This record gives sequence, structure tokens and C-alpha cells, in this order.
Amino acid sequence: MPALAGRVAVVTGADQPLGRGLALALGTAGAAVGLVGAARALAAVTAELDARGARATAVDTALSDAAGVTTAFATVADELGAPVCVVVHTAMEPAAFDPMPFEEVDDDRFDAIWEGTMHAALAVLQASFAQMRGRGGQILLVTPTVGMSGVPGLAPYAAALEGQRLLAKSAARQWGPDGIRVNCLAPAPEQVPIGVRSVDVSLAPAALGGPGDAEHDLGPVAVFLAGDDAHFVTGATIGVDGGVWMAP
Amino acid sequence: MTAPLAGRTAVVTGAGQGVGEGIAAALATRGANVVVAARRAETGEPAAAAIRDRGGEACCLVTDVTRGGDVQRCVTETVARYGALEIMVHNAFHGGRPHRLEDVDDALWATNSRTAVWGSYYCARFAAPHLRAAGTRGRLLLVTSPAGVEGSVNLPIYSPVKAAQRALAKSLAREWGRHGVTVNCVAPVAETPALTTAFAANPVLRERLEARTALGRVGDAERDIGAVAAFLAGDDGGYITGQTVVCDGGSFMGL
Repeated sequence: MPALAGRVAVVTGADQPLGRGLALALGTAGAAVGLVGAARALAAVTAELDARGARATAVDTALSDAAGVTTAFATVADELGAPVCVVVHTAMEPAAFDPMPFEEVDDDRFDAIWEGTMHAALAVLQASFAQMRGRGGQILLVTPTVGMSGVPGLAPYAAALEGQRLLAKSAARQWGPDGIRVNCLAPAPEQVPIGVRSVDVSLAPAALGGPGDAEHDLGPVAVFLAGDDAHFVTGATIGVDGGVWMAP
Repeated sequence: MTAPLAGRTAVVTGAGQGVGEGIAAALATRGANVVVAARRAETGEPAAAAIRDRGGEACCLVTDVTRGGDVQRCVTETVARYGALEIMVHNAFHGGRPHRLEDVDDALWATNSRTAVWGSYYCARFAAPHLRAAGTRGRLLLVTSPAGVEGSVNLPIYSPVKAAQRALAKSLAREWGRHGVTVNCVAPVAETPALTTAFAANPVLRERLEARTALGRVGDAERDIGAVAAFLAGDDGGYITGQTVVCDGGSFMGL
């Protein structure tokens, strides 16, 4: 039986290649997948999941609307027939991806990237908790390695990534007794449109070559973390960048 | 022997008490002109006076780090008074009581985010031209916490805002390194009013904290934390950038 058969998963940011690849991996592993975000942009991914025999739905929601996110998760649960027990959060404020010297960052831009990202992550975590409380579940935040490595021109993005990564650790510590695991998946910088290569943040090349394919290289790790075999793993950051950023 | 920070000027936010006061005193003892940037004159003025009483140079500028205009004015007045700004230390923080993540609302989030992250952003942004002018003497130092590395079960929002400071430091270190400016974090555990409050609320906390600390004691803000900050602020720490120095007596050993 597929690893995630019978599970209902939510994926955010599936309109981007990274989220799309992970959604396809979860669906192929047997999960029914709810794509939460701008529904129009998600129709193609829903169709791809359908074509593979995976149940899928898209729910139109702005992640900036916390109450709306909780409602969207409930809608996914209703449409797919069971509470959401797997959440993969990949969505990121698009402004975060544009490099800019720090001195040129103004309040509006910092607000959009830092506050926008953190409010969305908090909304996704709280919506997840509403679904998983008393039942358990697995939450995965996708945080590219550039948050840990630092990168010039993208300080607000890096701050938002590390903010999310530590939000995951705190959630893991607090919600462990509820059977809720929270982990981070750290892909190579090439997996997001920031114009940064792995070799820009490390002297060494990717040990396994890189930067990898979202569905076929990152997807199996996401499926593992979402599945029962990872039942003792929480608060962890798993680097899946082909062996560039090796920390600690 | 010349004092290692003689002729340099530092701004320390949240310097009216606790770790900030200790860092301010340590910098002043080593010769720096210190601006005690405190939200309240009631704490900032005595802290500055205590430095002057010990023969140091200090003044208090009332500054709310959650207001960009306040930070900008503090930097401008500092440069007007002392002629330059080489060392910017952002330490001020206001968090809140223990909380459940599922109950976090906008107000609690904002309290944590505004002081830690927006405060860092404003300090970095408004100090930037002066740090760059200072070249290899330019320092940005952000005071974070071990909780920003290992997560917190009681203060789940505290961890991400403290982590964001570490990330800002790394990226700014890479961005400003070409000017010679260093950007680092210190992550202290020290006797402070905040920790006293936490001990009062949780009687076993001190015992637990000391038991899991290799050196068996909670740090002193000036001697244990301030000294490390002063090292990073001076020439001897000039090849260290993008790092977090955990000053907790050997509790969290993350790397």
C-alpha cells in the first residue's frame, strides 16, 4: 500500500515548481491533496494529480487571511473526506525573491516579506493545529538553505526563512504531546527564483550533483517525513540540496 | 596601554537595564563613547550616569526601537555629538508571557516582531552609512538568544523573531563584508530583570538552568556578556562575521 494512502494533505505554493513537485510526490504516494492558494493558478496541478489517479482539490484562499486559511483547510477536509493530517507549506511572498541592497529596502518591502511570510506561516500552523488537535499529524515547512547560509541582497528573505524554521522548532516542542510533528525541508537555492546557485554559498560543489528535481529528489524525503516511518523525527531540518550546505 | 575601543562611538539599544546595560558598561570601560538608547529615561539616564561615575563617556537618548524615526534620530544625534558611529548594538527586546502557539494573536506577534526584528532592521538601516564610513571599525551586533537556535516550548514566538536576527546578521555580513564591516550576534543567558521575573514565575527554573549549564551559573551581564560583545566590537574580533556567539556558560552546544 502506498505510504500515504488514505491521508489528506494540504500543500501551499503549488503554483510554483517546488510546491507543484511536492504535491505530485504526495499524490503519487497515495495522499488526497488539497492545494490551498490562488485556485486559478492551481488548476493545472489539480489536473496533473487527477491524471495520476490522485484525488485533488484546489481551494481559493489568500494566506494573509488567517481565518480564511483555517476555513480553507476545513473545506479540504470536507471535500476529500477526512481531516487534514499532512501539511506541506512552501508558499512565499513573491517580493521576497527579488534581490536588493539592504540600504534600499524600505518599510513597505520589509513588511511584505517579513510580516507577510510569518503571518502566512503562523496561519498555516494554526489551521493545521485545528485539523490535527487530538488526532496528530505532520507539518513540513520548506526553507531553502540560503536562510541558514545567508546571502547578500536577500536579507529580508533569509530572515523570513529562519523565522519559519524556528517557528517549526517551537511548534514541534509545544505540539509533540498532541502527536503533531513539525519539520523543515531545506532545498538548494536553485529551487526558488532568487538567482542564487549552490556554488554561490559554498566553496564545494553539490556532492551528489544538483540542484535536484522537486518531485523526484525532494519529494521522497517529504513523503518520508509525512509518513509513519518518521514517527520519531520532529523539530528537525533535513537538508535536501545534494550535499552543499552541511550543517551542523 | 590604549583602551581597545578608545575614540569609537557605540549605540546600545535597551541599555537601561539587563544585558544592554552590561554591554554598554563593558564598551565604555574599554574606552568607547556610549549612547544608552533606552525607551525610558527613568532607566536610561541612571545607566548612563553609572558609566560616567566610573570615568566613562556616556549619554542617554530616549529611543523606542519599534519606531524608525526614533532610531534615525538617535543615530543622527549620536553622530552630531561624537562625530561618528562605529558600533551599533541592538539589544532591546520586549516579548511577553508564556503562550500557546495556537493562541498567538496579532498583538502578541507584533510585540515580539517589532522590537526584535523591526528594531534590527531600523538599527541596521540607519546605522549603515556610518558603519560603512567606519570601514574595518564598523560593527553591527544583534543580541539574540539560544532560543533562536533551539526553539522554545514556552515562548514559541520568541524563537522565530530571534532566529530572524541571526539570519539578518548572516546576510548583512555577506553584503557588508566588502566594506570591512562585521555583523554578528551574541546569544546570552544572564542575570537580568527579565530572567528574575521568569525565575519568580517558575521556582524550579533557576535550578534546571544551572544544572544544564556546564559552568553551573547564570552569566553576569557586564563581565560575561559585555566582555564578549566588546571583543566582537574591537579590532581583535575583526575577522569574525556572520556568527552567533552563544554566551550561556555551556548550555546549548549546537555545532
